[in-house]
Amino acid sequence: MDFLYYPQPLADLIIAFSRLPGIGPKTASRLAFFLLQHAEDATQLEKAIGDALQNIKQCSVCGNYTDSDPCKICDSERRVHSLLCIVEQPRDVVALEKTGEYKGLYHVLHGVLSPMEGVGPEQLNLSSLFGRLEKVEEVILAVNPTVEGEATALYISKLLKPLNIKVTRIAHGLPIGGDLEYADEVTIARALEGRRPL
Amino acid sequence: MAVYKADAIVIRTREYGESDRLITLFSREKGKLEAVAKGVRKPKSSQRGGTQLFTYADFLLYRGKNLDTVNQVQAKESFVHLWNDFDRTIAASCMVELLDVATTREQPEPELFFLTLSFLFWLKELDPYIAQAAYALRLMHIQGYLPVLDHCQECGKPLESEQSFLCAEAGGVLCAICKNNRVVKTLNPGSRALMKQLLRAKPDKIDRLRWNQSMKGEILGGLCFFCEQKLERKLKAWRQGSKL
Ligand SMILES: [Zn+2]
Ligand SMILES: [Zn+2]
Repeated sequence: MDFLYYPQPLADLIIAFSRLPGIGPKTASRLAFFLLQHAEDATQLEKAIGDALQNIKQCSVCGNYTDSDPCKICDSERRVHSLLCIVEQPRDVVALEKTGEYKGLYHVLHGVLSPMEGVGPEQLNLSSLFGRLEKVEEVILAVNPTVEGEATALYISKLLKPLNIKVTRIAHGLPIGGDLEYADEVTIARALEGRRPL
Repeated sequence: MAVYKADAIVIRTREYGESDRLITLFSREKGKLEAVAKGVRKPKSSQRGGTQLFTYADFLLYRGKNLDTVNQVQAKESFVHLWNDFDRTIAASCMVELLDVATTREQPEPELFFLTLSFLFWLKELDPYIAQAAYALRLMHIQGYLPVLDHCQECGKPLESEQSFLCAEAGGVLCAICKNNRVVKTLNPGSRALMKQLLRAKPDKIDRLRWNQSMKGEILGGLCFFCEQKLERKLKAWRQGSKL
């Protein structure tokens, strides 16, 4: 590496950037040099990172990132508290909120079961789920349509079965604009399952 | 050879960058390969289906400087039965994990390719964990470290109706006297007999094999222990599977 030629603090900064997802060594050094040349941007970034780390926590109820605990969604009286949507990541909450269609509450797992990566139920935000089901009438499983997502959905629905709560899975299938001929059997099978009357 | 074809099974997937997926393939032609599938986490990607875990597909790959990329993929079989059944997902995960850990990249192993493809199909009918054990034994046989089960690996004494002790270092079972302080896993005679059947039986016969809870634990636990020691790697899916 070129690190030998850099002063230590600069090398450290480049290494720190290159640990971030999607950033290779070239981009990392470009970012580092940019910040050195733009002190104001750098100070703002420093402050934003510090603030976020200090003020953002996981909501003790749903697991979503929040600056108040419980989060605004869990705390809102305008949300439907009998409806609970389980998602993999905080970014999935944002995706669902953006539609403006969903009025219930969320539960963020922070991952999916992935036996090959050593992720089991205890690594997910699952234990707190059972403490909040008392008033819930329907659980919607909105995990991604991957093998791991499906396995997680099957696992959770098995756990919920004895509790007599309605468990539903969001319909997966052909994406809007997707072409039937490109779809694989799993997608088509899911699309058929999720069909609805017109 | 900038672009090359692979007739392959997806045996591992990891999220990569914004919307890419890093996939490990096991191909008929070249054995294990690794490639980036670009943009496949976006819903509109036409490569989305073909790059899911366990999918069997025709790949066109582009040889990159660091990483190869998926140019085209045409799924041939998605193994829907593995998606709809939790135990089948786990068993299939354990099989492909063992395959991944037991092989090195770009080392053609057509026998292992056919073995894996067959078992992914057979999982539709077979008890998933019996199939997992049968697969593991056959993989070990092909790779040449199948544990010897009928006599003690130390003193040579034939083992019939007595307990034995699986020891990776010894390459098979030991008798009660020879096991001493070595790291071993107990194998009762019933489990040894079943393991031999699991290794040889045709799929329709495997389907008739049965085990009870303690034999299941002994055999899957023993195989995991033996493979981990032989391959000097942890089998995460196997450990998870035994807890679920
Ligand atoms: Zn909350
Ligand atoms: Zn002996």
